Amino acid sequence: MKRILFAALVLAAAVPALVTGVVAADGQPGPRVSSGPHPITLDVPAEVTNREIVDDVKRVRNYADQPPLIPHAIRDYQIDLNINKCLTCHDRRNTEGSQAPMVSVTHFQDRDGQTLGTVSPRRYFCTQCHVPQTDAKPIVGNRFRDFDAVLGAGPAKEGAK
Amino acid sequence: MLLSRRDYLKAQAAAAAAAAAGVSLPASATNLLTGEGAKLNWSKAPCRFCGTGCSVMVGVKDGAVVATHGDVKSEVNRGLNCVKGYFLSKIMYGEDRLTTPLLRMTNGTFDKEGEFTPITWDQAFDIMAEKWKEALKKKGPTSVGMFGSGQWTIYEGYAASKFMKAGLRSNNLDPNARHCMASAVMGFMRTFGMDEPMGCYDDMENADAFVLWGSNMAEMHPILWTRITDRRLSHPGCKVAVLSTFEHRSFDLADIGMVFTPGSDLAILNYIANHIIQSGKVDKEFVAKHCTFKRGRDDIGYGLRPEHPLEKKAKNADKATESDPISFEEFAAFVAPYTLDKAHELSGVPKNRLEALAALYADPTVKVMSLWTMGFNQHVRGVWANNLVYNIHLLTGKISQPGNGPFSLTGQPSACGTAREVGTFSHRLPADMVVTNPEHRRHAEEIWKLPPGTIPEKPGFHAVLQDRMLKDGKLNAYWVQCTNNMQTAPNTAKETFPGYRNPENFIVVSDPYPTVTALAADLILPTAMWVEKEGGYGNAERRTQLWRQLVNAPGGARSDLWQIVEFSKRFKVEEVWPDELLAKKPELRGKTLYEVLYRNGQVDRFPLSDCAPDYENFEAKQFGFYLQKGLFEEYATFGRGHGHDLADFDRYHSERGLRWPVVNGQETKWRYREGTDPYVKPGEGVRFYGNKDGRANIFALPYEPPAEAPDAEYPFWLSTGRVIEHWHSGSMTLRVPELRKAVPNAVVFMHPDDAKNLNVRRGQEVRVTSRRGEVRVRVETRGRNKPPRGLVFVPFFDHTVLINKVTLDATDPISKQTDFKKCAVKITPVSA
Amino acid sequence: MAIKTAICSMIAACWRVFARPSVHYSLGFLTLGGFIAGVLFWGGFNTALEATNTEAFCISCHEMRDNPYEELKQTIHFTNRSGVRASCPDCHVPHQWTDKIARKMQASKEVWGKIFRTIDTREKFLDKRRELAGHEWDRLKANNSLECRNCHSAESMDITKQTPRAAKLHETFLFTGEKTCIDCHKGIAHRLPDMTGVEPGWTASAIK
Repeated sequence: MKRILFAALVLAAAVPALVTGVVAADGQPGPRVSSGPHPITLDVPAEVTNREIVDDVKRVRNYADQPPLIPHAIRDYQIDLNINKCLTCHDRRNTEGSQAPMVSVTHFQDRDGQTLGTVSPRRYFCTQCHVPQTDAKPIVGNRFRDFDAVLGAGPAKEGAK
Repeated sequence: MLLSRRDYLKAQAAAAAAAAAGVSLPASATNLLTGEGAKLNWSKAPCRFCGTGCSVMVGVKDGAVVATHGDVKSEVNRGLNCVKGYFLSKIMYGEDRLTTPLLRMTNGTFDKEGEFTPITWDQAFDIMAEKWKEALKKKGPTSVGMFGSGQWTIYEGYAASKFMKAGLRSNNLDPNARHCMASAVMGFMRTFGMDEPMGCYDDMENADAFVLWGSNMAEMHPILWTRITDRRLSHPGCKVAVLSTFEHRSFDLADIGMVFTPGSDLAILNYIANHIIQSGKVDKEFVAKHCTFKRGRDDIGYGLRPEHPLEKKAKNADKATESDPISFEEFAAFVAPYTLDKAHELSGVPKNRLEALAALYADPTVKVMSLWTMGFNQHVRGVWANNLVYNIHLLTGKISQPGNGPFSLTGQPSACGTAREVGTFSHRLPADMVVTNPEHRRHAEEIWKLPPGTIPEKPGFHAVLQDRMLKDGKLNAYWVQCTNNMQTAPNTAKETFPGYRNPENFIVVSDPYPTVTALAADLILPTAMWVEKEGGYGNAERRTQLWRQLVNAPGGARSDLWQIVEFSKRFKVEEVWPDELLAKKPELRGKTLYEVLYRNGQVDRFPLSDCAPDYENFEAKQFGFYLQKGLFEEYATFGRGHGHDLADFDRYHSERGLRWPVVNGQETKWRYREGTDPYVKPGEGVRFYGNKDGRANIFALPYEPPAEAPDAEYPFWLSTGRVIEHWHSGSMTLRVPELRKAVPNAVVFMHPDDAKNLNVRRGQEVRVTSRRGEVRVRVETRGRNKPPRGLVFVPFFDHTVLINKVTLDATDPISKQTDFKKCAVKITPVSA
Repeated sequence: MAIKTAICSMIAACWRVFARPSVHYSLGFLTLGGFIAGVLFWGGFNTALEATNTEAFCISCHEMRDNPYEELKQTIHFTNRSGVRASCPDCHVPHQWTDKIARKMQASKEVWGKIFRTIDTREKFLDKRRELAGHEWDRLKANNSLECRNCHSAESMDITKQTPRAAKLHETFLFTGEKTCIDCHKGIAHRLPDMTGVEPGWTASAIK
């Protein structure tokens, strides 16, 4: 049952790619661009509010230096002069109790690359780099391929000509 | 047993998530790849987004960008990026990248109402040349124009400037930086006679107090905010004051947070000057030696169309820039009415906080750094606000020293480097020169090896005026590059869109993606972006950074630089210059603008062999010489020896940027002060050499109200702006799935009590309506922005919420920069 | 305000009757009458007490309205899916009568503060915030987070509806009785004060 559900999930995820594949394959180079009524002239309804993804499941990073996304709710998380709510779980001292991932070692380095005994103040505002996700659909697909995908595919088609 | 099943489910969910994000997991993750195959080619490039100018390392494998990270060698960011910067790798790979020119056609010919149809570059330039020549023939050079960008590379801005101002002899060239930095520029020019900050980011490691004037650095300049946070949390006694018209993320670090009534910052600034004088804290020696006092004109209007009642009423609309000298005593008397009571009354800020703020500035032992961006600049009195903050620093002598200084932040990555230094404004030439000054024109013509009289003396149409002139049918052939003005200009539905669709006009838009501006065009040109070309940017602290082409652009996409230079081949000089001008330099006869402007013996003097051997350079190969280096070196001759010295082209490729003036190989951190600025001679101490008398101007300027304020019918203030996850109009960042999913849509931030009174709640759809237009958007009563009652905030990144249909096209009358922060709106539930 | 005045005049009227010896009424009538009067008095007292237990009463002081209440509006205890929300007394006034009276006597200090303007600016509120929050943490710690549990019963929690992280922590700390709600859930309805030295519940346990 779970497997069927999983297969359905993967298929659903693949649908947007198929749709854009059709656009790219209809004989014209590049995407079709709408020549219809301009959006500025239309009474465009607001898109529905997307739901936050709070499943606590780690997402694969696109590359080693990508800041991990936040897989849980951070509503009302206070990060100010009084307290950093994120660090109450992710700080080195708190991870045993919280079982949360410890902030990366890079976060202990000051501007000069010296490792400090505690998280560097320059890293204090977590949400400058780490963001939660919603279930919003991408507005279009993205053809970015990570290192392994590029290696697997051989020389990129649109690469050095 | 239970645990292993849970782990299994987790792995499945991760695979599903990866598939949804468009990332494939390696089939055999346990195999460790070693040797050459595991290596990436890493090269430096400045970040594509804001004016901070972070350096990033870009990892390329087999012709594709596969990774990016903050550059540890960069002084600016020392290894950090913000969330946008960390996702730079993905901005070029949106599936709808444009790869071929698209012309609106019906039955194989151009039709303004036709469908976008792929054509070749040759066909594209054919129709463009036809339309440009037709306009020039009918109405002359004022009927052609170009709208550029603070995101253009230095080379692109410079090539465009030559093409428009010398080639086509039209000053109708303006950058989107007009919407962004123009008030800062005029503020600098009026006070110091020279553009751009005297200090630099190093001030952040040296200041005792930081004052943010209307700036939300936590979201808009996040990496600079890390430097301020570092200082605030590790330097004992360090204070942060934040002023804004609504509470936002920067307040999280604030010791003194102040929410003020829109426009009343002018009164607070004058109150602080008054406080400094009344409390005897004026640095009298500094002021006597280095300052001049001036009284500016008041009642200068709001930059609206001349027939607007507010313009007719304004006494000094045509004399906005004038001023008269006054004495210190007259200045003191002028600011005397700006008492604590008056500042409190106008601003609504509690008196104890105003006093605490004034005390930071007045205390001679506290080193203060003032920072601002769009709060000051997008302001109908933006130039004044800039002038008034300089007043405070000048009165106390807190300027041009480590940790002490007013610092104008920039929005765009090359607002300084391209828009300001290259001079792509409708009134400017390189190195702070202006078209209205005959000496400046002559100097530019000499460097460009052109006959005297080539450059027209009358300033061209600025950004807002270009839209008005398009609508009015006076500007007919128009080229937009590297900006999304249909989303970001003010009052777009009434003042921008009609001009694009005016049958008299032909509109060309160059962009990597089909933006709403592109959709309004007649011809769309596909553009190479960021590291698909060689480039150069200049950041807010005068730091010039160059980068190499690291990957090729997809399909037929070409850089803006290639487009401009290639298009110049379509004009014979006889077609665009009058005979009497050509007669002054007959040897130019028969040549194309390409030969006159770029193949001129200067720009083309570096051979292809000078190009970096390990990198592609599409443009150089196309034209047969090292175009970028030639443009840079010709451009650099404008500033060398005049306080704008740039280093050699090649040096920038081995440095993480250098802050001009670069004299004898040394960059300059603090200008105008002996010992740190080579242009200040021994014994002078301080010299504001931008002004002939070496003095800075302290301006007496009053508080004046905004152009539009809430009333019974439109009871809310509307402010617009950005969010950290998205860059400007979102054309790049919304195509990064992670950034789109982080903040999918714009919302209207409002106070919960206002929502309650309107009988709406979080998530409900409302119309935000002004006298100009309306949008539909959902309500947000919590989260990062907390407006006071009576004010709402809507970000402008979302192409489905075109909030600039609602904004007002009022500008600062001096800088012509739009006020995107203040207009009146009403809010109604959509269901009602 | 009107209620307060009414109660005062009622008490005064009653006192006048009680102060005189009986002339006209029988003992039986007096006993019955006394009982009724007692019910009235008691009812009146409780009505008055209840009036002070409403949010409207709490935020009739601008110190409360502009500081804790303004902050509450942002949080999940005010805005949430079903619109069931906590009002000030739900969390801050014990439901048990004796605890309530004790809390009320403590609160009279706040009225003193109001009269003598101890907290008439945001700054003063922020300066006192750690102390004021500390009182509430101590109280909730001492009564095993009684006011939390009036709504959030551990018995009624379906942890399959919680995120795995929350479920795990509740299993480890809450259901075992090792911790009480307030140990981990501080700052859930208002902004937190300077938390220097205050360890989160899960850490205080791990490093003890």
